[in-house]
Amino acid sequence: MSNNLQGSLQRDTSTIFMACLFIFVAVVFLWDTTHMLDSDSYVFPRAVAIAMIILSLTLIVWNLVKPRLAKGESLVEASTARRVALVAAMLVGCLAMPWLGFLIPGILTFFLLMFIAMYDQWTKKRKLLYPVIAGAIVLGFYTLFGNILQVPLPVGTLFE
Amino acid sequence: MPGIEYLFAALTPLNIMLALGGVIAGTVIGSLPGLTATMAVAVLVPITFSMEPTSALIMMGAIYTGAIYGGAYSAILLNTPGTPSAIATTFDGFPMAKKGQGDLAITVACIASVTGGLVGATFLLLLAPPLAEIALAFGPVEYFWLAIFGLTLISALSEGNLLKGLIGACLGLLLACVGIAEISADVRFIFGSQVLLGGIETVTALIGLYCIPVLIDLVATPDRHLKVDHKPRGFRFLEALAISWKAKFSLLRSSVIGTLVGILPGAGGSIAGLVAYTEARRTSKNSQNFGKGEPEGVLATESANNATVGGGFIPTLVLGIPGTPPDAVILGALLIQGIRTGPSLFTEKASIVFTFIYGLYLATFLMLPVGLVIGRYAYQTIITVPKALLVPTVAFMTMIGTYAIRNSISDVIIMIVLGVIGWILNRFGFSPSPIVLGLILGRIAEQGFVQAWTIGAATGELWEMFFGRPISLAIIAFILLSLFYPVIRSRFGKRTGEVPHVE
Repeated sequence: MSNNLQGSLQRDTSTIFMACLFIFVAVVFLWDTTHMLDSDSYVFPRAVAIAMIILSLTLIVWNLVKPRLAKGESLVEASTARRVALVAAMLVGCLAMPWLGFLIPGILTFFLLMFIAMYDQWTKKRKLLYPVIAGAIVLGFYTLFGNILQVPLPVGTLFE
Repeated sequence: MPGIEYLFAALTPLNIMLALGGVIAGTVIGSLPGLTATMAVAVLVPITFSMEPTSALIMMGAIYTGAIYGGAYSAILLNTPGTPSAIATTFDGFPMAKKGQGDLAITVACIASVTGGLVGATFLLLLAPPLAEIALAFGPVEYFWLAIFGLTLISALSEGNLLKGLIGACLGLLLACVGIAEISADVRFIFGSQVLLGGIETVTALIGLYCIPVLIDLVATPDRHLKVDHKPRGFRFLEALAISWKAKFSLLRSSVIGTLVGILPGAGGSIAGLVAYTEARRTSKNSQNFGKGEPEGVLATESANNATVGGGFIPTLVLGIPGTPPDAVILGALLIQGIRTGPSLFTEKASIVFTFIYGLYLATFLMLPVGLVIGRYAYQTIITVPKALLVPTVAFMTMIGTYAIRNSISDVIIMIVLGVIGWILNRFGFSPSPIVLGLILGRIAEQGFVQAWTIGAATGELWEMFFGRPISLAIIAFILLSLFYPVIRSRFGKRTGEVPHVE
């Protein structure tokens, strides 16, 4: 990802923001340890959370006392919509699996991701060939995991 | 050489076929993200039940060896460790592939894996009984310090920003605490969510943090996944051999590290690879190139993780304590075969043990042609498949592979969410490697710390418990050396006129 870094420089406020976020996360973990009664459960995470707060505070102070200019990353050339669509398609696909089983959401997710990742023209050859390859890949993995490796893939409550 | 008379018993046509089949199956399974070496051995172990004990052992050893090596393919070509053992292979393997050197990285990994495998098998053959004693000398506190030693690797992984690396490691350590506590069995940090109840599985986190960010970036631009050189370059075997010869001491040291870490029950190939990587980086003349596509980094990790195969068999066969998780599966298969492991195994069942060890050599040698051919095929596939098919295939593999770890859709959701978090953190300069390191070492560190604390408090020797044991002190010395090495090297460099590399 470092190759996405652009030459334009900007103030490193993002690091301070992230450090604050880490402090928040550590405080949430610390707060959760207050419900624990057994010291074996909370000693270690509490120590780590405190260390995380101290390190994050040091990072903030370091950036304030010795301000540095950080390289900003540019998203101009990259498609944010496709990025979001990829994650959404994967999440929706796996959330549908308890109801529809593994195969149908698997095939639908595969096709959706194929459209999201497509940058070339949809020629006649590709229109014919790609769905066949997609089906073969999904069915191949489904057979490998479900039948050969005996992984109990979800069947889906709608089909039970 | 002990048991040399059993060499020919290992070289029967049947055993050669079984070793070949085992290496191929193991390599293919190991290369799929989510399918670990443990799973490869576990799913194929029923095939061995009807075999002779020696043939069964040879096949299981071959599957294990192949699976550990197979993990390097996806680490190098997809930035996703196929098995946890290949975590450190991503550090230099993927940058090499991005620069158009993926084929060289795969061949280097193959040579390193074969070397590591041979060193591990040699230790198993010559020094198994005395080395098994080391496993018994390691108590909870030694494991705690070993985990802390592993955490010192953060300075090498944080790409110039130690503070961010340490914060990332803390996040990883906290994530390792999610779910049910190892010692007290308390339910922790699930915040009312059933999805988090089972905790965060290491392999799930590995796939999410390493592979999903690659997919997110891959889909965003029409650029190719890897740089491609259209000139046919073959296996690049001689080139890789020359690199390996140049770094022969590093290769040997990493193999020995891998064997010794493999002996320690619960440590495994991931820690072996990480420790060997740190040491290789610390001592290399090209340390400034580590993390940017340095073949020596691939050599170190791949030799170390394959050396754990032989190393892990030492406590398994001598003490009946599995050195690594796949060894536990193999131990179970041995019991089904009616073989009782123990110190007397090397004398009472010498024919089985020595035939198996020579079979391990056989499988390791077979890994060279098998690994080169499959690796070449994997590389060609990755560089020629169009993006519209590569992205959904890899995404589908991550989903089904993650699901297969614990047959849980929650794991798939965690994997995707961690992937998005990893991608965001990466953009703000927080590398995923320290988070993964914290996640892996967190459980070992917590368990070791709490157990040592409890024993120390009960006996009234808390300080002696942590700072009074010889092995602990030796590991602490290594920790201090690892932490202050840049300063020492900087001073030494000034004196000798070298230009040092300091984080």
